[in-house]
Amino acid sequence: MDVAVAATIFVTTYALIATDRIDKTVAALLGGLAMIVLRVIDQETAFHAIDFNVIFLLAGMMALAGTLRRTGFFQWVAIRSVKVAGGDPFRLIVVLSVVAAGLSAFLDNVTTVVLIAPVTLYIAMTLRVSPFPFLVSEILASNIGGTATLIGDPPNILIGSASGLDFAAFLGTMAPAALLVFVAFVVTVRFFFRGALEVHAEVRDAVLALDEREVLTDPRLLRISLVVIGLTIVGFLVHGVLGYEPATIALLGAAALMLVTRSDPAEVLREIEWPTVFFFVGLFMLVEGVVEVGIINAIAAGLFDLTAGDQSITTIGLLWLSGVASAIVDNIPYTAAMIPVVRELGAQGLAVEPLWWSLALGACLGGNATIIGASANVVVANLAGRAGHPITFRGFLPYGLVVVVESLVISSAYLWVRFLR
Amino acid sequence: MTEPVRLARHTPVAEAADLLEIGPLVARSDEDLLVAMRRSSAQPATRLIGVVDEAGRLVGVLPILRLAEAVVARVVPESLLADISGVADVARFGHAVEARTVADAMLEPASIRPDATIGEAFRAMHQRRLSGLYVVDPDGRPIGYLDLIELAIAYLDAIEAEQRATDNPAS
Repeated sequence: MDVAVAATIFVTTYALIATDRIDKTVAALLGGLAMIVLRVIDQETAFHAIDFNVIFLLAGMMALAGTLRRTGFFQWVAIRSVKVAGGDPFRLIVVLSVVAAGLSAFLDNVTTVVLIAPVTLYIAMTLRVSPFPFLVSEILASNIGGTATLIGDPPNILIGSASGLDFAAFLGTMAPAALLVFVAFVVTVRFFFRGALEVHAEVRDAVLALDEREVLTDPRLLRISLVVIGLTIVGFLVHGVLGYEPATIALLGAAALMLVTRSDPAEVLREIEWPTVFFFVGLFMLVEGVVEVGIINAIAAGLFDLTAGDQSITTIGLLWLSGVASAIVDNIPYTAAMIPVVRELGAQGLAVEPLWWSLALGACLGGNATIIGASANVVVANLAGRAGHPITFRGFLPYGLVVVVESLVISSAYLWVRFLR
Repeated sequence: MTEPVRLARHTPVAEAADLLEIGPLVARSDEDLLVAMRRSSAQPATRLIGVVDEAGRLVGVLPILRLAEAVVARVVPESLLADISGVADVARFGHAVEARTVADAMLEPASIRPDATIGEAFRAMHQRRLSGLYVVDPDGRPIGYLDLIELAIAYLDAIEAEQRATDNPAS
């Protein structure tokens, strides 16, 4: 009976999240609470399932990125990169993509793309070209960059906490894969947009007129923020050696920033996206319900039988399954549901580490396939539409699909070479 | 000295608009922003441009500040870039830098019927965060203009005059 109730709650909640019928945070919270109210699990079990390492890592990084956002840093970096690239549109796309990917590896993807976008709109207007190729490239690059580190994308944060793999392990395994995918992406972008980037010579110099110093609103706060974030990243690099969890490092960074800058905690903590935090809270409780009644074990056993327990088939299969699933549904709830499945596959005798990496690569990179595949995609489509340059589902799909397929092919080869040979 | 006109929250908008004597400032939606700007500088008391279609119906409004923002965006875009913190700001910036005609920069129309009350007018301006409101006929054509600041001053003057009359009934 519990199995049927838990499955119904789980499927209904995921359907509500996928179809956007109600707000995803409300759906996840109601789903998680329904598991308690309908006595699938008790409150103690549900609350115990909430991974505070994930919650506080997210909150700490949001506070750090939010403070940095108030300094004009992102706009400054975008303008500086434009000057480095000069007036050549393809070089501009590459440089802005590098910036989007690089910042997204350490900071929130949405913050990164939202604050690079206005500079992009201005540059496209000045060059008298459509901003579409620039914005699409930044979305794709941001998701690729976010794949590279433990803190780059929420699926990685979830996997890092569940697997015990530390920041250095993520950097050592995911960053080379992300780099390979990024190089292929740049080559692909050249083919995608070569016809759309013709620019008259007389407007090329106009993009150099922007003065990046004028977008810095608080240089002192910027300097302090960069030092604190830099030290926080160093802390992430050694957290495994020191025996601390990433959440401790992130909260330490946020608290240190508030102390050094004498910021009002209320103001800094307002930068935390509480709906996202509670989305995770709801998901943890919801997934615990289906774990407790044995549904996850049954799924894992089914997968194990399907692949006949073959490590290579399971690893590569999980990568592609994750890539396809994340293109269609939000990659956060997908990852939350698959983590116990991977854990169970490990318990059945498969080497679990390659499976964590295939889940991480598939979930992060798959989000690039559609305009609804990841939060950064949705937000940029929204702002582009409101600014008069709509990015439609169909318009984005051909570019997203090609990049995801090539990303998954590269990732398959990478996983095979590193773990499966 | 002229007798101050009685103003209360239930006073019809038509009476208040006549009292303020600030004429509507209308521009066609396809008009160049520069032309609209020149027009507004010749009539500075009207802080909200009414945008009309070919038939003269109100199809949008353009606050003077938004008009100025379009110029600022072209001259010193950095000052607008520095203020951006969210999606709405980006969209606004995108419109500002690309705006060439009145239609590119205008907002949804903000209007009120002549028989509505001042209270309703204040509420509408507060809700839309606008400094003015167009009084329109049943076909949606502007026939008057209510300015928030001028209306507020006139309203407060009326209250003060009433207070004085109450305090000194003999004078």
